Amino acid sequence: MKTRTAKYFIILLLILAALIIISSAIGSANISIKSTLKTLISIIPKIKSLVPVFEINPQDFKVIFEIRMPRIFMAIITGIALSGSGVIFQGIFKNPMADPYVIGVSAGAAFGATIGLLFTSSIRLVNLSTTSIFAFMGAIGTTFIIYNISKIKGKISILTLLLSGVALSSLLTSIISFLMIFRTHDLTKVYFWIMGSFTNSSWVNFLTVTPIIIIVMIVASFFMRDLNIISLGDERASQLGVQTEKLKQILLVLASVIAAAAVSVSGIIGFVGLITPHLMRIIVGPDHKILYPTAAISGGIILLFSDTLARTILSPREIPVGIITSIIGVPFFIYLLIKSKKQVF
Amino acid sequence: MEQVSIQVKNLEFSYNEKPVLKNISFDILKNNFVSILGPNGAGKSTLVNLLSKVLSVSNGEIIIEGQNIKDLNHLEIAKKIAVVPQYSNIGFNFSVYEMILMGRYPYLSRFTGEKPEDFKIVDEVMELTCTSVFKDRKYNELSGGEKQRVIIAQTLAQNSPIIILDEPTSHLDINFQIEFMELFYSLHKKKGKTVIGIFHDINLALQYSEKIMLLKDSSIYRYGDVSDVINRTNIMTVFNSDVYIGKNPFTGKLYVSPNFNLNFKYTDTVKSKSREVKIHVIGGGGAASKILNILHNSGYIISTGVINNLDTDLYTAQQLGITFVSEAPFSPISDVANSRNLELIKNSDFVILPCIEFGNGNFLNLRAAEAAINIGKKLIIIDSSKIDLRDHAEGKATKLYLDIILKGAVVLKSEDEILKALSDIRHNYK
Repeated sequence: MKTRTAKYFIILLLILAALIIISSAIGSANISIKSTLKTLISIIPKIKSLVPVFEINPQDFKVIFEIRMPRIFMAIITGIALSGSGVIFQGIFKNPMADPYVIGVSAGAAFGATIGLLFTSSIRLVNLSTTSIFAFMGAIGTTFIIYNISKIKGKISILTLLLSGVALSSLLTSIISFLMIFRTHDLTKVYFWIMGSFTNSSWVNFLTVTPIIIIVMIVASFFMRDLNIISLGDERASQLGVQTEKLKQILLVLASVIAAAAVSVSGIIGFVGLITPHLMRIIVGPDHKILYPTAAISGGIILLFSDTLARTILSPREIPVGIITSIIGVPFFIYLLIKSKKQVF
Repeated sequence: MEQVSIQVKNLEFSYNEKPVLKNISFDILKNNFVSILGPNGAGKSTLVNLLSKVLSVSNGEIIIEGQNIKDLNHLEIAKKIAVVPQYSNIGFNFSVYEMILMGRYPYLSRFTGEKPEDFKIVDEVMELTCTSVFKDRKYNELSGGEKQRVIIAQTLAQNSPIIILDEPTSHLDINFQIEFMELFYSLHKKKGKTVIGIFHDINLALQYSEKIMLLKDSSIYRYGDVSDVINRTNIMTVFNSDVYIGKNPFTGKLYVSPNFNLNFKYTDTVKSKSREVKIHVIGGGGAASKILNILHNSGYIISTGVINNLDTDLYTAQQLGITFVSEAPFSPISDVANSRNLELIKNSDFVILPCIEFGNGNFLNLRAAEAAINIGKKLIIIDSSKIDLRDHAEGKATKLYLDIILKGAVVLKSEDEILKALSDIRHNYK
């Protein structure tokens, strides 16, 4: 079993590495693959001497390491976070339609971001950090409210959780629309933020959000055996020794933090957190111990691929990456539904 | 001294203030096989859920192997008690092997995972449950019986001294029922496991259990050895159904069979009018049992005789609480018994002669029928097979039988006509 996991892992990491190289080579500034490779090699210790320093164009270096690379890594870490938390949410809810946004993370983040974009002074110079902080607070706050609504006598009612998630989400969406009536000139900004984009990625953003995501995801990874058993149903899990309620609450909190962190810097990117777990479940099976890490890496691959398309197909214009993930994701999802009609999971 | 496995003291439980269990106290000894029986809603499942801490105890105490269940966490309980539920489909389609390995959960550390010992135990339980042949298949693609095997294997992987069966066999064919029950029984006998089962199928429970607990209206109605608890009165009280309780001659175990009312359409109307009518049924060789049951269900006052001890008819009479005259086993009818029988005939309004085999030993029963008609009683004869074939008294019985018919007995072809014939005759009287 360990070797199987390792095999999937190596394959996925190779795909990811190849995609990073390809993605860093394409963009509106015309840099050849050859120069890209040379530039990339020039920062790798030990083999950097292979490339003579004078062959590196400082312009290329700047484009690749200060514009493309932060964006690439931002897309990867967001994909990892969305897909990883998607696996956890689907596991807790035992429901194939669950995704990282199911309990209000998206609406809360959008609400927070809207407040941030509309009411903080530095709107003009969009300071992404301010928006991100508001979005993160909005996401966590909303999840907290929904979580507490659904907690009855120390137990989480999944149905109430989903319903109050839907209800509160539509309330927040209405408030966002209402606010935009008065600030029509900010409409595009809010709209673009909601659609999700990595345009404003920077190393600072990446380095702020990545530690949170990675640490929380590692903590969550120790609960994957429990998640397997929880998916058999609460009563059976209890009989097998799982403290069902406690673990569901821990995992809900961890997954919500992961999703909120991702959303706060990238906006609401749909379908990655829904589709990737399904796709990987078909390939590696339902065991969360394998599914969780492989789905996470695959989420990174898929989002990086989507973002590369988003910034290149209409270059120099840019499409919000959320549109790309939906365009790829929805048909694929429908295909999955039809193909596996007999057994949805 | 025998060790106590589970001790329950003054347990009470309510769902939304509706009591589901009231004042439950019992001990289950180590290495016992106990079945909990009772109608739907009696609280069986709640009791199981409390014992396995799926529900937490609010009032009363549950002591498992000397420790209060409140002081044990789920992991510790899962090491002591394993519950076998009915299989159900699962959301994620795990492989059989993955499913069974989940049974080792209580023993695994969060950070290190399975040890060689865990894999060894899984191999053992797969051997025991015949699941290793399909260990790589997906659980949801298995048949019902195979899924149940996997669930049983998962439970056995818990390696607990106590096993609770939560109706694991009630939806399976009899071959699986027997296979699984034999498995649990052998674990109980060979490995000393304490087995507690809740069943809908009383017979399955009776074949394997040592003790029976009858639950009724949220309380324990009876708890004890099978032979002390299982009788017609108790089953009638708890399940509100009339049953026949027999003994399987191969295993010596009791079994329960419904005493359904073959002539149900008569019961309600006839029953009240039947109360004052006395009927004597001449018995023997099991020929009277069905008639006794029909008449009993219709509310008639019945007596029967002369029947040898050990005869099915006698057992029926005892079960239904009918007055009877009996004779020692395999002995000819004595004068004492005969005169008591004639006494009962004299006191009754009708006499029924079932389709009995006659020999010299019970010839006096045929004479009693003749006596009945001679003193003016209405005699009904059930003649469903020819008398010469039933005559083992060198033609003597045939001759007397035909005489009796000529004297004016009512002859019916089957027991099923008996209630109609009785009501016709009574109607003609008036």
